[in-house]
Amino acid sequence: MLRFLIRRTLAAAVILMIISAVTFLLFYAIPADPARLACGKVCPPETLAQARHNLGIDKPLMVQFVSWVVAIFVGRDYEGLGHCPAPCLGYSFVNRQPVFDTIIDRLPATLALTVGAAVIFLLFGVATGVIAALRQGKALDKIASVSSLIGASVQIYFVGTLLMYFFVYQLHVFAQPKYIPITEDPVGWFSGLLLPWIVLAIIFTANYTRMTRSTMVETLSEDYVRTARAKGMSGASVVLRFALRGTLTPIVTIFGVDLGTLIGGAIITETTFGLQGLGRLSLNAVNNSDLPLLMAVVLVAAAAIVVMNVVVDALYAVIDPRVRLS
Amino acid sequence: MNIRRRSAFALLAAASMALVGACAPGNAGAPAGAPSAGASSAAPAAAPYKPAVITLGTAEDSKGPAIAPEGVVKGGTVTMIDRDDYAHLDPAQVYVNTDANMGLLLNRGLTGYKRIAKGEYKLVGDLATDAGTPSDGGKTWTFTLKDGVKWQDGAPITSADVKWTIERMFAPFVTFGPSYIQQWLTEEDYKKAYKGPYDGKELDNIETPDDKTIVFKFKTPHADANYAFAMAGYSIVPKAKDTKEKYDQGPVSSGPYIIKSHVVDKSYELVRNPNWDPNTDPIRGAYPDVWKLEFGQEALQITDRLVADSGPDQTAFTFYAAVPPERLQQVLDDPNLADRRMISPSPYGNYYYFNLDRVKDQKVRQAVNFAWPSKQIQQTLGGPNAAALPTTILNENTTVGYEPYDLFEKTTKPEGDIEKAKQLLAESGNPNPTIVYAYNQTPVQEQVTVVIKNALEKAGIKVVAKPLDRKTYYDSISQTKNEFDLYWGGWGADWPSGSTVMPIIFGPVSDGGQNMSHLNTPELSAKMKEISENPDIDAANKAWMALDKEVQEKYTPLVVAENRIATTLHGSKVGGAEIDPQQWVVSPNTIFVKK
Repeated sequence: MLRFLIRRTLAAAVILMIISAVTFLLFYAIPADPARLACGKVCPPETLAQARHNLGIDKPLMVQFVSWVVAIFVGRDYEGLGHCPAPCLGYSFVNRQPVFDTIIDRLPATLALTVGAAVIFLLFGVATGVIAALRQGKALDKIASVSSLIGASVQIYFVGTLLMYFFVYQLHVFAQPKYIPITEDPVGWFSGLLLPWIVLAIIFTANYTRMTRSTMVETLSEDYVRTARAKGMSGASVVLRFALRGTLTPIVTIFGVDLGTLIGGAIITETTFGLQGLGRLSLNAVNNSDLPLLMAVVLVAAAAIVVMNVVVDALYAVIDPRVRLS
Repeated sequence: MNIRRRSAFALLAAASMALVGACAPGNAGAPAGAPSAGASSAAPAAAPYKPAVITLGTAEDSKGPAIAPEGVVKGGTVTMIDRDDYAHLDPAQVYVNTDANMGLLLNRGLTGYKRIAKGEYKLVGDLATDAGTPSDGGKTWTFTLKDGVKWQDGAPITSADVKWTIERMFAPFVTFGPSYIQQWLTEEDYKKAYKGPYDGKELDNIETPDDKTIVFKFKTPHADANYAFAMAGYSIVPKAKDTKEKYDQGPVSSGPYIIKSHVVDKSYELVRNPNWDPNTDPIRGAYPDVWKLEFGQEALQITDRLVADSGPDQTAFTFYAAVPPERLQQVLDDPNLADRRMISPSPYGNYYYFNLDRVKDQKVRQAVNFAWPSKQIQQTLGGPNAAALPTTILNENTTVGYEPYDLFEKTTKPEGDIEKAKQLLAESGNPNPTIVYAYNQTPVQEQVTVVIKNALEKAGIKVVAKPLDRKTYYDSISQTKNEFDLYWGGWGADWPSGSTVMPIIFGPVSDGGQNMSHLNTPELSAKMKEISENPDIDAANKAWMALDKEVQEKYTPLVVAENRIATTLHGSKVGGAEIDPQQWVVSPNTIFVKK
């Protein structure tokens, strides 16, 4: 198991290196000039040249890349602006601060949004999928199928805006969505995120219901399940100990990808609810042409997906011992 | 001031009034002594709007405290909600109106605008005892600092600080703020003439005979220099606490509040500056004890929160988030919101520029003006509640001495006069010209383009519509060798005078410059120079207005575009909220929290 995990972690590190190189090339090789953004509207050539020098973008691309990677481990000095301590992912001239500081500030909101919603859509989605599979062809199954179809069809900005309008502003059922650190106010944290969680769950539950249902139906017809029943095991034991375990592999796969994607930035959700997370940050970075920040957010998003894939691989190994041998 | 880049997205999305004008402060108000509002050239919006009036205040007017709004209450915490944090805190880097508005809470300058009553303002001394004394035909300006004006640490604000403030604006790192004063002090490329005070060199034409007196000696007359000093970019920075580039992260306050906390792009908390004396300040009321500024909310969310008016949102308002189109009618129709609604037309100039290098026949340009579907565009933008139809280059809100005129009968025929256009085209010798119209590819502009195309084609003009990416829109149209005949652009006055509009939009032609029509004749340039140097400010203002009409009559370089009207809301426990007609944002100076 340990060897398996080491192998997967090393592979993830290599993938991250490749992603960082590609991301760097994409953002710094395209014909955009971060120095002009930093330089302002009254920017004579010598000031622009100085800004390029301060940013280090007057150097060859490879030197820039190496400096950027080295800065992650040892930090970097920006002339006139001070030291960017390790891990230095660059300096935002729009926000006037190291981008790592900004990301660290926004990450908790995104993590809280993602993890809370994930708990809801995973539990609810799997539960309704199991029930639908066990009641195949019956009313509950049909209700679950139609609900999941509707959930998969609607968009966050539509459902979110609608629910906010009625349940926050008109009926005052939910609190105004906002992120308050759990350490400051646990009740405020929960009530501020409840509606965003529910809306995200409405959208994401559908996939889990449908996936769980179809896999569960398939698993229930497997020989080993029939054998377990034939041996006299109760229905609940068969479902929970055998059928559900067999169903979990594809669920874990999509859960890992979804979680990684959401951590990378739930742009629409955060924008709809005015939450200041990584998604909103990346949107601002795009609008402001803030390349250092955008690049760092892209990297964090990529890292989240890679890390979640490693976690999924590890979970596979737990769920299905055959994976460890392959 | 430029209504470019940062602003264009919001303008065309019509969601945010402030970002419409990436606009300098001090682009003040309007027809001092001008005809009454009834003579306005704008087609009337739903509610009659009276342009602001700006006059020059006296030394007596320059004394504090500020005139309190009716029912004012001191104390409490007010919350301001907007989409974006401020780009700059160093006054030298401040040019856009949102940054300037925030600056009112923290910074003070030599002069500023004092609210006398709704829509009535005076230019007064802020840190100075009056609005300045010109001499030598407007070449020399003398200001005297008030007694008792201090920095947040209690140190006195001195003339050395004022001199330092202006000198540091020449430093290479200062690239975002205004440049008028620097240019006037050197009358050449000011960035080359002087590199700032950090290497020990001083400007000898800024004199400080004592701690209270500061004398500026310009190379040429500038009768409106005291208006220029009212720009937030010229707010004072302490010589002893200047941290160069880093000052942008944490300014030293001379205003009523200091920054207690700031999380970039998320929030500010401002608390009282114990060393600010209201008796020295005729401009800022500073009634709340605490300001909480929240960012990250879209205009729709802000509107819904303010309409709901529940809990803490009762003490909330927004500086610049205008009610978005999808809520506008609801907000305008709701009688319960009547006393929480604020409505104000844009103080900026918006134009559809002809590229005179390509559309060379003035008859064609006049024909386009006559055929222009102003009313249909107004309807597309949301009707008279969302857009007015001006007829002059200079905006009535930002032009002292404003005189309306209507060369192309927009007031009487806002839907366009197709027959007149056809007649002019026939006279031009080309009854079926082709116009390449470049536009910013947003949903609203797509609709506006269809309206323009339909109208011009009725007159016999073939329109080739060229959608441009919004990120590169301005870069494309501001190229001198662009391949378009007609395109939208905007510009706003930096203070209420044509001197900050006409010489810019009809100034030097260069790539990335502001002269988008490429109109640049020696005759026009000479006339603008003559007016700019006129030491009689009233005569100069009158001359700018006359030149406005003359340019349209003689050259017709543009079609005057529709003027957006912003509607915004405040919570039920917020008092004194009103949109500053010059800045087009809600002024913090009169805000208070009701008990």
